[in-house]
Amino acid sequence: MVKQLEIEFGAITADNVEQLRKVNAACFPVSYNDGFYKDVVARKDEGLNKFAYVNGFVVGAVCTRVEDMPSAGSSSVKSGGGDEGEVRSRLYIMTLGVLAAYRGRGIGSKMIASILEYYEQHKDDELSTVDEITLHVQTSNTDAMKFYTSRFGFVKGEMVENYYRRIDPPHCYILSKKLR
Amino acid sequence: MAADNPQAGQGRPLPKKESDLFKGVVKHYEVKQYKKAIKQADSILKKFPNHGETLAMKGLTLNCMSKREEAHALVKKGLMNDMRSHVCWHVYGLLHRSDRNYNEAIKAYKQALKIDPENLQILRDLSLLQVQMRDIKGFGVTRHTLLALKSNAKMNWISFALAKHLDGDLRGAVNVIDIYLGTLTEDSPELERGFESSELAMYRNSLLAEIPDNYEEALEHLDTCEKLVVDRHGLLMSRAKYQLKLGRFQDARETFMTIFKRGASEDYSVHSGYMCSLLEMDDAICEEALNLDGTGTLATMMPLSAEQKQKLKDVYIGGELSEELPRSHAMQRIQLTLREGDDLKNALDIYCKKLLKKGAPSLGTDLSSLFLVDNNGRYERVTDPVDVKAHPNYAMIVQLADGYISSLSSCSKFAADDNDTEEDPSTLLWTWYLRAVLHELGGELSEGLELIEKCLEHTPTAVDLYELKARLLKASGDIKSAVECLDKGRELDKQDRYINNQTTKYMLQAGMEETALERISLFTKHEGNPEQNLFDMQCSWYELELAACLAKKEDWGRSLKKFAAVVKHFDDFHEDQFDFHSYCVRKVTLRAYIAVLRYEDTLWGQQYYGQAAEGIINVYLHLHDNPTITKEEEEPDYSSMTAAQRKKAKAIQRKKKKAAEKKAAEEAEKQKAKEEAAEKENGGKKKQNNKGSQAVVDPDPLGKELLQKDPLEEAKKYSAMLSKYAPNSINTWLLQYDVSIRRGKALMALQALFKAKALAGNVPNSEVFSRIVDFATKADTLKGDNPVVQEVVESELAALLNGGSISDFVTSAVDHVKKNPLSDLSYRVAIAKAIVSTKTSGVADAASIVIDGGINGRGVTASCCHEALVTLKKFGNEADEAVTKWSETVKTKFPLMVETK
Repeated sequence: MVKQLEIEFGAITADNVEQLRKVNAACFPVSYNDGFYKDVVARKDEGLNKFAYVNGFVVGAVCTRVEDMPSAGSSSVKSGGGDEGEVRSRLYIMTLGVLAAYRGRGIGSKMIASILEYYEQHKDDELSTVDEITLHVQTSNTDAMKFYTSRFGFVKGEMVENYYRRIDPPHCYILSKKLR
Repeated sequence: MAADNPQAGQGRPLPKKESDLFKGVVKHYEVKQYKKAIKQADSILKKFPNHGETLAMKGLTLNCMSKREEAHALVKKGLMNDMRSHVCWHVYGLLHRSDRNYNEAIKAYKQALKIDPENLQILRDLSLLQVQMRDIKGFGVTRHTLLALKSNAKMNWISFALAKHLDGDLRGAVNVIDIYLGTLTEDSPELERGFESSELAMYRNSLLAEIPDNYEEALEHLDTCEKLVVDRHGLLMSRAKYQLKLGRFQDARETFMTIFKRGASEDYSVHSGYMCSLLEMDDAICEEALNLDGTGTLATMMPLSAEQKQKLKDVYIGGELSEELPRSHAMQRIQLTLREGDDLKNALDIYCKKLLKKGAPSLGTDLSSLFLVDNNGRYERVTDPVDVKAHPNYAMIVQLADGYISSLSSCSKFAADDNDTEEDPSTLLWTWYLRAVLHELGGELSEGLELIEKCLEHTPTAVDLYELKARLLKASGDIKSAVECLDKGRELDKQDRYINNQTTKYMLQAGMEETALERISLFTKHEGNPEQNLFDMQCSWYELELAACLAKKEDWGRSLKKFAAVVKHFDDFHEDQFDFHSYCVRKVTLRAYIAVLRYEDTLWGQQYYGQAAEGIINVYLHLHDNPTITKEEEEPDYSSMTAAQRKKAKAIQRKKKKAAEKKAAEEAEKQKAKEEAAEKENGGKKKQNNKGSQAVVDPDPLGKELLQKDPLEEAKKYSAMLSKYAPNSINTWLLQYDVSIRRGKALMALQALFKAKALAGNVPNSEVFSRIVDFATKADTLKGDNPVVQEVVESELAALLNGGSISDFVTSAVDHVKKNPLSDLSYRVAIAKAIVSTKTSGVADAASIVIDGGINGRGVTASCCHEALVTLKKFGNEADEAVTKWSETVKTKFPLMVETK
């Protein structure tokens, strides 16, 4: 059994957001635009966007946002005629990356677990409209799919064709997990 | 300040009402209610417009309200109206004091004292000035007067003791303290244990120890005052030191042990003392060992015999000390310095593994302290890659690191047969990093860069990696890439002040002073002018780097300006001691006070001052050698031109002037816009808190005034400061030579050469060598008419040239280099130049000194290689082949080196 690494979490701020760029550049085939990084910094929610530190250095990061639930079929977001008229939403994992040298040591799991834990703590207040957690996975990335489905009970959903522009294959699956 | 002056005169004595008003002026001045003071002074002056003391007081008050000129005029007028008032003289003195014009102030105080000899306030003020100016005798007299006038004040006794001490009368100082203590009643709180009584006792003790051969008495005194003393560490250190000095080694050893047990296990000077007591070293060595800096100990100061080492090992490794201090890091480092061979290797193995697991970027630098060689009975750390690579400890550490890397990369363990669990991924990172630092120390820059790339791929978020990469790039001769790399590292953590400063420094070295200011401004106060803020913060390193950067760009005025800023800081440091004269006596921090005074006496020997002075001297010497630079700004000589030429020249001048004006206007505009923006940012608060920054407007930001000074005179001034305060630095004498030779002072130049030569010792020094050659070639014209000077120059020159001609001297240097293939590259370059300039031999021989083996010797840096190339190019066509060959050689050694023009 490979030794698990002790990690600490830390906030992503305007002063250290360049480190997020470094992690993402090392982990993902797609590059994110400046807007992405600005948003992450502006959001200031340490519970959903954070660095993972090992021995004082950033080795991974997870960025999550709360987004409105697309309502089934129709274009309207609001559950129109419902009693409450409340907008339901979901957690969307934008990125989750760990530097190659530090993979396989439980860091990704700890980051997902910490997001889920954050949900548990706040499901009755700021995350009270959140019903599920989702993410996109490139169709070829079987390791990631296995990681989310077998370890955290995510369910593989529909395939989105031509989701990515510059990488091959361009398709992805939606993975999701009902939270309530 | 009493206002009763019976002498007749206008408005004196003041009637009751005005006399009360005057007392009010003084009172309000003292509590800094300046406006009220002015108002009251004005109402006296309404009635008695020529009342001297009131005029003076009003002036003094205005001076505190930053109205310096008005203040001077008023105080002078007051004094003229009433020359017999001690108040007027006192005020006149205070005004000079606030201008730092201390000698004038002292005169004025003395004048005031002639009129009122027992005025305590004036006496006190005078004594402060005297000690500040180190008029020790005068200080002693004044303090004695004060003590006689008021012998019940503790401060007066202490100050008198200090005066005796500074005058070298140690026993007298002790007696003064004893008499003072004798005046106290037995139940006086001054005799109870407390900070003040403790400091006074320890001060008395330090006096006793300063008396030659008086350690016995000092040691006994420690026993008697032990109960009073609260500075337990200080007391024990003194006791241990005295015991060492008295040769009571067993006692000293026990005392040092007590100090360790109190928690001083990481204090290397305690270790040094302990080692001395163990090995029973003699007095001089004990003194030297106790005064070592940083992490040095007796064991790294000088080579010890096998027997001595064994004695130390017996206590440091598995002996009384290692049992007592099992967790001390200092212990582990000291143990390394005691071991050799395989024993050392095993210990290093454990030490390195521990720190690599922890992730210690400093490990490489830490271990480089083990590269010691014996130089005349003292250890010296080798730094040149040639020597580092030849050191057995270097090879040992490289071998260990290489072993770790191959094992960690294949199985994540330090050794394949290791039963332990796998190491964290960061362990491999820091092992690579260590190896990269070892490459750097060994001058293997390309290999280092290759490895640091691997590190960056592994953990691109670690700031330290960017710093090392930048260092390697800079050493490779590519400062621009180094800057880019550092700046990227800086962006990773914008709150990291260290990396920000490092980036700023590199930018200045790369000639990017504007971007550099932007970077460092991220950490200055966000209001006002950042450059002014850096000056207020006395940020010398920045100013020195900027000044050097500007000098490289031949912006002489601004460069001088920045060097002068650092000189100003030192004047301020010197000035800063003023407050301590009264404060330290009041707080009885006497040992620290004496240390401050002694430090201030050697202030101008500090490194930063030396750098600033050197910079200034070099700029002025350049201006002296190239007088056209400063003449440029003046109008050309039209009279010698034809009409058409004149017209053209005038047009050019006009254009130049216009361009300069336009540029100045633009600069002003920019500055204004910046300030406005800053003000906006601060919102409504702008009026508060920036009194200081608003007041400061530099009338001469380009340093034009400095350029107008007599360059040789200025250079001489700074060179004299260095000779006085930094006589042990070889640079001091090289500069003194450069200045003296230009002033035509043959004897001073000679003296400087001898001093420099003595400081260089038996190591050939290129700078000394080239100046001896320079002097020899100029000797004939320098001798002058004075037969005495002629004789001295001739005989001393012969001594410098070892009795032969210049050619013999150069030839013997050539022989030296041929016999010592590792000779310094800069020395080789200097010899090559000398061969050509003295026509000792041909260009081919000169070039061969550099190109044949120069790259394999010491001192092979990118900049020195470049310097060598420039020299070869100057030799003309004959050296073409050598230039090509050298360029190729340098390219192989420094493939990344960027050609500069």
